[in-house]
Amino acid sequence: MRYSGFKVIAEGLGGNKGWKPAWRDPDPKPEYDIIIIGGGGHGLSTAYYLAKNHGLTNIAVLEKGYLGGGNVGRNTTIVRANYFLPGNQEFYSHSLKLWEGLESELNYNVMHSQRGLINLFHSDGQRDAFARRGNAMINQGDDAELLDREGVRRLLPYLDFEQTRFPIYGGLLHRRGGSARHDAVAWGYARGADRRGVDLIQNCEVTGIDIQDGRVTGVQTTRGAIRAKKVGIIVAGRSGQVAAMAGMRLPVESHILQAFVTEGLKPVIDHVVSFGMGHFYISQSDKGGLVFGGDLDFYASYAARGNLPMVEHVMEAGMTLMPMIGKAKVLRSWGGIMDMTPDGSPIIDRTHIDGLFIDCGWNYGGFKAVPASGWCMAHLMATGESHEVARRFRLDRFVTGHLLDEEGTGSQHNLH
Amino acid sequence: MRITCPLCGTRDRREFYYYGDAVYADRPDAGAVPEAWNDYLHLRDNPAGETRDLWYHEMGCSSWIEVTRNTVTHAILGTRLVSERNSRRDKFVYQEGDLREIKPQATKPEPKGTEE
Amino acid sequence: MARLIEKTPCEALLPVTCGALTLRELVGDRVTSVAPLRGQKTKLAAALKKLGLAWPEPNRVIAKDRASITWTGRDQAFLIGADPDTLAGLAALTDQTDGWARIRLEGPGAADVLARLVPLDLRAFAPGQAARSQLGHMMMILISPAPGIFDIMVFRSMAATAVHELHHAMKALAARAAV
Repeated sequence: MRYSGFKVIAEGLGGNKGWKPAWRDPDPKPEYDIIIIGGGGHGLSTAYYLAKNHGLTNIAVLEKGYLGGGNVGRNTTIVRANYFLPGNQEFYSHSLKLWEGLESELNYNVMHSQRGLINLFHSDGQRDAFARRGNAMINQGDDAELLDREGVRRLLPYLDFEQTRFPIYGGLLHRRGGSARHDAVAWGYARGADRRGVDLIQNCEVTGIDIQDGRVTGVQTTRGAIRAKKVGIIVAGRSGQVAAMAGMRLPVESHILQAFVTEGLKPVIDHVVSFGMGHFYISQSDKGGLVFGGDLDFYASYAARGNLPMVEHVMEAGMTLMPMIGKAKVLRSWGGIMDMTPDGSPIIDRTHIDGLFIDCGWNYGGFKAVPASGWCMAHLMATGESHEVARRFRLDRFVTGHLLDEEGTGSQHNLH
Repeated sequence: MRITCPLCGTRDRREFYYYGDAVYADRPDAGAVPEAWNDYLHLRDNPAGETRDLWYHEMGCSSWIEVTRNTVTHAILGTRLVSERNSRRDKFVYQEGDLREIKPQATKPEPKGTEE
Repeated sequence: MARLIEKTPCEALLPVTCGALTLRELVGDRVTSVAPLRGQKTKLAAALKKLGLAWPEPNRVIAKDRASITWTGRDQAFLIGADPDTLAGLAALTDQTDGWARIRLEGPGAADVLARLVPLDLRAFAPGQAARSQLGHMMMILISPAPGIFDIMVFRSMAATAVHELHHAMKALAARAAV
């Protein structure tokens, strides 16, 4: 299926009866070279890059629901590369570069908008920390600009510069940061993978992982057993449960994160604005809705919905920062299941079982990682070696002490 | 979500601070191998269903509470004070800012005939 | 040496009235936290009895004349308006007098005011009841000394915020009633 403006008009006049599915809906074959468990952003991009970069096409992506129905379909779409620690830096830098070429790569409009991301700071100590982070970003080859109070006021005149609890001292501007259309990323990768011969199998829940003599041999699913030489677990918040099928315990606790969107408004917020001290961040979607969120609800949960106290907290933080949004009506709120690790950084690694690989622990920052996560996971599964920019995302780093604790909050899953 | 504090009664979730899995109440022995510390600090069963975790009645009576609840439905199934949990706390003592194992006292041999 | 002027926690902030509701500061009473020492609970109960009081159950306050004792946590209570010296040796005693702001909310609809700030059902909060909970985002001890009266204790450093929040809720309620 190819899309064009002409086609949209023609279909609109013709009752939209000519659209065809963008990918096949195949039945599972008895055997594949590689099975990817999880048809979300990361799973689909892994399948895509296995096919594109490594020429492997005898691949199935098994999705228990529908493609892109998990966290890639329910996030706040921020894309950025503003990490501080070596290990994270090169990875997210690589991911942002992939984002910048993604639309031509996939020939799919993912509405990637580099509108600029601003992280506000509110004290001298925070300014120092952000200056250091900005320097680290520049050293990595990415962009960062330290704005003073007036610099922030020029870009974001609508903030409350008079509030005394968190006075705005300035902000760290990351011009190449921005947002993208969440569903489109999944769809673009899905179509790209499908075209290269990958079987995308929906409504197919994995119920067991077959292991013989320390080697993975396939999976059991609600649509029958499927043999495979290699299996990748890429299931975000459900990582603990799927890994348990292989007898593994992960350094992961699943938590709930809520997000909110208002009715559509005229363009008013041009950037992505992050108010870390208040656990609040916001951007405006192309439809005009204000998309915003806060911190975790803070307790382990698989409910995909949150509790009211966090709703209140997020609204309070928003009103503290930008009282002008007070009259906007919230249309929807939703919750996603976050795979939180004890250091806030992800895992892309092999397991102790031959042929079984895992990509998880994206905490609440997985969306921007979708391209590079797939790129690196595909590299790992195809070559058996960690990709250069993901070599520190090891599963065993919690035993060896090589943690990547970006926020410096210690080994408590919900604090990252 | 409302949590029943064993002392204060049923209270709003916002009065409580969440710490994490109840495994935090079972600290390994001071000389435990790194794998045991990894297990304690990092690895989690992470069940979708019934779990036990530690909550602190921060805005209330300041009690630590072990909560049994369902992570899918958010139902609270039971609570008890951590102090009433069969914990290992009597085996350890804080000395000079560190947790030290209490050396067992030299005990007389049990009289015969009292074996359980 | 500098001559320091003693100020009460809510000085210049209270009292305020809003319709039939009044908010005023309670001052002058000594506040002591009482934490029984191990094995001394029986003797402590006897000593409290001499003050006309008893060890309170959770969520309870026991009062006698101007003296009262309020449960404030596991193995801890606040003795207010009484000399704690007779409890010495039986409990860990800590003077808290200057650490807290004590505020009394009184009048019809007082429970409705607190309903905006406190996550408890206060419609059934009867004399003799007490609770540790929160007022907005502040830790709070709430005591019901008599029908329609709520005594609120917050940390002294939070006095201005507590008064602001309470007064705001009182005005909002009055405004709604006037519609």
